Amino acid sequence: MEDENYISKIKQLEKENRILQKKLERSECDRAKLEDTNRNKESLLKQVICGLQEYQAILEKKSDDLETTLKDLSLMQNQLVEVKKMAALGGLVAGVAHEINTPVGTSITLASTLADETRSLLSLVASGNLKKSSLSHYLEIASEVSSLILSNLKRAGELVHSFKQVAVDQSSSEKRDFRVKEYIEEVILSISPQLKYSLCKVFVTGNQSTHIYSYPGALAQVITNLVNNSITHAYLPNKAGDINIDIQQNRAQVIIQYSDDGIGIDQQIFDRIFEPFFTTAREKGGTGLGLHITYNLVTQKLQGSIKCESKTNKGTVFILALPISINS
Amino acid sequence: MFKVGVGHSNDPNSLEAINETLEQCIRALDGLVPQAGILFTAIDFDHALILQRIHETFPNIELIGGTTDGEVSSVLEFQQDSLTLMLFCSDEVEILASVGKNISQNPVEISRQSIAATKQQLTLPIKFCIALTESLTTSTVSVLKGIELGLGNIPIFGGATADQWQYQQTYQFYKTEVLSDAVVTLLFAGNIAFSYGIASGWRPIGKRSSITKVDKNIIYEIDHKPALDFYHYYLNINEPDAVYPLAVFPPNETTFFLRGAIAYDKSIGSITMSGDIPPNSIVQITDTSIEDVIEASKTSFLKAKISYEGASPQAAIFFSCAWRRMILGTKANEEYKAIASLFPIFTSCGFYTYGEIAPLSANGKPFFHNTTFVTLLIGNQ
Repeated sequence: MEDENYISKIKQLEKENRILQKKLERSECDRAKLEDTNRNKESLLKQVICGLQEYQAILEKKSDDLETTLKDLSLMQNQLVEVKKMAALGGLVAGVAHEINTPVGTSITLASTLADETRSLLSLVASGNLKKSSLSHYLEIASEVSSLILSNLKRAGELVHSFKQVAVDQSSSEKRDFRVKEYIEEVILSISPQLKYSLCKVFVTGNQSTHIYSYPGALAQVITNLVNNSITHAYLPNKAGDINIDIQQNRAQVIIQYSDDGIGIDQQIFDRIFEPFFTTAREKGGTGLGLHITYNLVTQKLQGSIKCESKTNKGTVFILALPISINS
Repeated sequence: MFKVGVGHSNDPNSLEAINETLEQCIRALDGLVPQAGILFTAIDFDHALILQRIHETFPNIELIGGTTDGEVSSVLEFQQDSLTLMLFCSDEVEILASVGKNISQNPVEISRQSIAATKQQLTLPIKFCIALTESLTTSTVSVLKGIELGLGNIPIFGGATADQWQYQQTYQFYKTEVLSDAVVTLLFAGNIAFSYGIASGWRPIGKRSSITKVDKNIIYEIDHKPALDFYHYYLNINEPDAVYPLAVFPPNETTFFLRGAIAYDKSIGSITMSGDIPPNSIVQITDTSIEDVIEASKTSFLKAKISYEGASPQAAIFFSCAWRRMILGTKANEEYKAIASLFPIFTSCGFYTYGEIAPLSANGKPFFHNTTFVTLLIGNQ
């Protein structure tokens, strides 16, 4: 029995010995293989890191290039703005020259006519041949010519006044706190003589209590220009119409919605309505400065925004958004 | 009734090892006579002796098997230089073994014929097939194609036999025959339930490159340079390393499959891959970690467990890639332990392969994988 136990134990030990020997062999073999695997893994990771560094360098260069491009673009944008400003100034000067040229030129012609007539009269006086009829003729011409010169120079004066308003900061009114609806109603009342000649009615609606700290004079000019614009352009002769001015407050802004129910603005000229000297009514004395002045007043003096929407035969809407308190 | 028994011995002595294994199996089967079995053994056993002993014990057994790069079972967990045998008994399941010999002569046709003949003998509806194939002498993709042609739309699982990284000769077992250059299969038909799961754990790393010249499974150029340069760049060695397979993104695809290098030609710089590569595919070298490998094994098992439709699986068969074992190193047993922790009372066995066979879940077609862990669960319906 004991022998059997020993034999079994020896067998077991022999088996364990065989297994351990095999495991040792295997272990040596595996260790070499694992070393290779590790070496390859190390190489792989090194290369991947190198790849990443390469990409990083490329990306950094791209980023630098983009930054430079952005700077260049920003510089070009500023230059473009300057060029546009100069172009606008050039256009403005050309417009001023063109507008002033007509009344001043006419005045010069009239003045030289008067000078010629005066010289003729003086020579008649010097020669002692002055007749009553000649004097009467001269006086007639002088009266007519001086009247024409006066009206032309008045026109020139009016134009100069308009041009001065284009430079918004010369507006004379002061900042103060005022109720918007009440003030606009006063403005409408002050231009009621002009409205009398048209068949238009103006309604002012909206929030009675809204008040802003701003330039009332500039706002008056804006409202007057818009009304004049509607009367001149929106309605055909002998056509009645309603103009509505609605005032609402939206947080720190006052929204003034000005709308007429006229013929609307032709889509072809819609994008040009705020350009200086752009007018479709030059023959009616339009200067093309009304909406341009309005735009400048709203965006600069009143520090707000103005946008226009128009539908043919439905009417035109101007939406003004003004801050309830402007910065000094 | 379906019963499974497993034996496993790490005794380097062939006779002692098979005797010990058979004793364990007989105990597990409780006197029942098995119809069929699968044997996984290390390369340096006396395989003929082992098969002879099995045949003496169970004369009519339908047996297949093959050599491995590591064996695993619920008896001894992960082992190298061991042998493990799984035996199946059932009066409601038909199991038949088949063999295709000298497959390199015509892999598609020989594989097709071998399986088609066996299929004819089955009287019950076929459920699935386990295939163990040679991988060093021929294209395993072609072998799979042949089996698929012979079987029709039947799921195929299995792996390519291995020889512990010697890449000299692997063996396939059919009944009492020890073969090379062969494919052996077990067909399961009748009242048997099964499910499977696959997962890898390898991830693409490094730059994306284009396959610019390829013919089926031979890559000639990557990014217009000899394909070997690609491995040289990353691994600083003049040959590909199978542990770092390529992630292959077919044109316009965002998902990848893995292909390992099985051979190379230094003179022209080409690499022969474990499967075909679509032209103009994008490739990236891949890498993994021990944690990712173990996590993927668990995922594979859980996928199989979730999709199992029978009452409860009786056994699991694992096919895990030899490259996984290489990554795991001394922690190879953790792959098995991670799974055992999910389902402790499981009868299981499996082997580390030179390539895994399982359907691609998308279309159910059999696919030859690399670096993958395949779980096959079987049991009563």
